[in-house]
Amino acid sequence: MEQSVSKEQIRSYIIQSQEEEIKRISMELHEGVGQNLFSILTGLQFVEAGLSEHHLKNYLHEMTQLIEKTIQEIRLLSVELHPPSLTTLGLLPAIKSYIKLYTSTFGVLVDLESIGEEKPIQEQKSVAVFRVCQEALTNIAKHADTSNVKMRFVWNEETLKITIVDFGGGFVTGELEETSVTLGIAAMKERMLLTGGHCVISSKIGEGTSVEISLPL
Amino acid sequence: MTEIRENHGVMAVCDQLLEEVGCDFVALALQNEVGPDVRWHYASGNLNDKYNRITVRFGKGIAGKIISSGSPMMMSDFPNEIYGKVTDHPIMLAEKLVSCYAVPLFFNTSPKGVLLVGKRVSYSFPEQVQEKVKESAKTLEQLLRSHILGGGA
Repeated sequence: MEQSVSKEQIRSYIIQSQEEEIKRISMELHEGVGQNLFSILTGLQFVEAGLSEHHLKNYLHEMTQLIEKTIQEIRLLSVELHPPSLTTLGLLPAIKSYIKLYTSTFGVLVDLESIGEEKPIQEQKSVAVFRVCQEALTNIAKHADTSNVKMRFVWNEETLKITIVDFGGGFVTGELEETSVTLGIAAMKERMLLTGGHCVISSKIGEGTSVEISLPL
Repeated sequence: MTEIRENHGVMAVCDQLLEEVGCDFVALALQNEVGPDVRWHYASGNLNDKYNRITVRFGKGIAGKIISSGSPMMMSDFPNEIYGKVTDHPIMLAEKLVSCYAVPLFFNTSPKGVLLVGKRVSYSFPEQVQEKVKESAKTLEQLLRSHILGGGA
């Protein structure tokens, strides 16, 4: 049994199981907790409209605002965990939606360009590519010291190529100590290898970093 | 909401605080007039304009925690010994801050804003600096009351 299952298959299975669990939690938050909070919000707004005492009305208004903020945070958390558009609309719309959230979270502007006709991608593969892009963008927010990122999708008949370029400080690839950054980079490469694609990272001090992802379609 | 950057009184309080407490960065976050979003409206000593695009996440990062709890908070050595992830603190990352102290701004008894002072070195903000920040927050509450409460109160 052990011999018939390769390490690669085990790694792939672990990642897939984690992704399924993340998706489940994300949906529970959105469809369960989020919906219940929304019902509470509309109920409180109804009560607020019927109140005449000024201090009670004010108090209830503060409560509805607090619930609104909580609903918004639950939605963002859910989308961060697993963007629903990844399953329903595909990789590119999910990335577009993530970029909006990314800019409003970190203040970094992302210029996204897509060349060629978008092709359907198997969900497992699109989740992998999405996670690799997410990791690349998170690394930029943490370490790159830049306000602008260029992201380019090139759709060919047989491959999707994605390039993410920041214009930040850059680093010397060989000189990174074993930290969460190097582990993150290794995970990005491994994840792409499991999809049959690859991920190449190059960087130069003062010129920024470039992440090139390639996925067979 | 009228742009805070056009409010000279608010700008003066922030700029003066930056000088008086000898810190590298001062920023003011406020809840939007409509909706629950809290954004950084004004900054002094900033390295870039990222703060301008950052929306504070409710309950996340120092500003988000202050808005949700209503209590002042301090970070002395970011990213060491922080609560949550490094990415939960976007203003620290955007401005390369290593330490900060922040207090809530109250309107109608609710925390709807944050005044933050930060340094790009490890630092523990002493009592007198904390008091100075709290005083400035009180002044800002007075100056911004009509903005937040739409001209009333």
